[in-house]
Amino acid sequence: MNDRAAPMKLKRTNGLIWILPAFLFLVIIIYYSMFFTFNLSTMEWDGLSPDQTRVGLANFAKLFRDKVFWKCLQNTVVYFVITFVIQNSLGFIFAAILHTDVKLATLHKCLIFIPTILAPATMAPVFRLLYSPQGILQSFFNWAHIPITVDWLSRPNTALYVLMSVAIWEFTGMSFILYYAAMSQIDMEMLEAARIDGAGNLRTLWSMVLPNCRGTTVSMAMLGVIGALKTFDIPYLITTGGPMHATEFLGTYIYRQGIRQSHLGYAAAISVMLLVLAVAGAYLTNRANKGGGKHA
Amino acid sequence: MLEVRSVKSKILLQLLLFIMTVPYVLPLIQMVAGSLGGRGFANYKAVWDTGVVPTFFRNSAIISGGVILLVYVFSMTAGFGFSKLHIFGKEVYFWLILVALTLPEVILLTPLFVTFQKLRMYNTFFSVIFPQTALQMPFTILLTRNFLDGVPDELMEAARIDGANTFQLFVSIIIPLTKPIASAVIVLTLINSWNAYLLPLLFLQSPAKQTVTLLPQFFQGEFTNDQTKILAAAVMTAIPEIAAYLCMQKNFEKGMSAGALK
Repeated sequence: MNDRAAPMKLKRTNGLIWILPAFLFLVIIIYYSMFFTFNLSTMEWDGLSPDQTRVGLANFAKLFRDKVFWKCLQNTVVYFVITFVIQNSLGFIFAAILHTDVKLATLHKCLIFIPTILAPATMAPVFRLLYSPQGILQSFFNWAHIPITVDWLSRPNTALYVLMSVAIWEFTGMSFILYYAAMSQIDMEMLEAARIDGAGNLRTLWSMVLPNCRGTTVSMAMLGVIGALKTFDIPYLITTGGPMHATEFLGTYIYRQGIRQSHLGYAAAISVMLLVLAVAGAYLTNRANKGGGKHA
Repeated sequence: MLEVRSVKSKILLQLLLFIMTVPYVLPLIQMVAGSLGGRGFANYKAVWDTGVVPTFFRNSAIISGGVILLVYVFSMTAGFGFSKLHIFGKEVYFWLILVALTLPEVILLTPLFVTFQKLRMYNTFFSVIFPQTALQMPFTILLTRNFLDGVPDELMEAARIDGANTFQLFVSIIIPLTKPIASAVIVLTLINSWNAYLLPLLFLQSPAKQTVTLLPQFFQGEFTNDQTKILAAAVMTAIPEIAAYLCMQKNFEKGMSAGALK
């Protein structure tokens, strides 16, 4: 703070001291950890023994031949695409309906939003039960005489979809709230004009409302890409990445390799890849946003 | 948004809304129904009688409180500095902070685990509060800076002429001005730190230090997989959260949506 007796322009006051505490805190924790991870990714270490062996890029070479690593990436892409489309479509439709004059709007709004504030850790045992033969879904199928066995979590070809349904359940409220806010900004006269020209509800939603919510869609895409790469709680708590790596994500795989099996160097190499992908993902969605021209 | 004129279409729309909401309520119904399985409300009593529930809540409150305090102070001071003051190489600092936005917490595990053990910080509240703060701060600084960028400088220049130094100006002008964004920052930080699972899982080993997100796990050991009691514990964890949301709906919705918008 460079204060003198005479009043001085704010913009010329040196502000370094104001950002330094936050900046140093971040450097000590985040950048220290990143450096540590980069360093560790070129080593072989079990975390306990005093000798750490330098192995150069061997961990990365191993990574590219590791089928589970590619499975993680595949799961991440599938998970992102499907949850992004369904979650935002539902959020958008909910927002459109609740912007119309319907009964019990506040109640519905709360019920959709409650899942976003509950911890995945709290809900995980609930979902394990819900999607098991002891759950109420199974009771319903039995009651309706529908011959379906709810064992989807234990089957490699369905488990990932169960986890996606949990993620959609959890985050629709967020999409909904944002689309709801975006729709409040839309000029109603414009919609009226479209209606006078004979556009139906679906037509208006698709070609007038949705384009006007473009900013929200882009934000959700960016958040979705980073979120899918970071995914940990839901798969770890519900399936621990199984059965047979069917629901393995980069996060759960890093945990499995590093914490469970003490392959710290290898886990660090996966972490480096994850970090590169997350930064690249954020950069690309941001660019796509800016390249797209119109901002909503 | 939609045009519904006839009574028939109004009823259809209402019905559609109802059907679409059912899947969102289903897990909550399962949670309550499951928790009452077997011995009914005795499950709740069994969970309560272990005496650990208040401890887990207290720990979560201490950790969230600590994170909120640090995040608030860092966001307001740094947001002010970045938005209103002269800093050489400002955008470089800002960019370095933003890179941390994309950082997945799982990357921090090994480095911090090794370091905290060396520093004897392992199994203390700080081992969760510090990394949580670092993970949340980049975003809240961004929010605060964007908010302050929209506030005209003239307000502050006027205080300057009255002879206030930078610190007085921060306390008397910036703090009151930033209330709207501060409430979003606080709620967002609260939800994220209260719901955090991975860092407490790894860094808090003794049940006396653990947080509510670790309750299901604790009871899995305690009741050897008696699902009904684990679900009773889940209900007890969820109720205060839902109550807090219902009391401060607007703040929660604003905080969470601030979390998605840049």
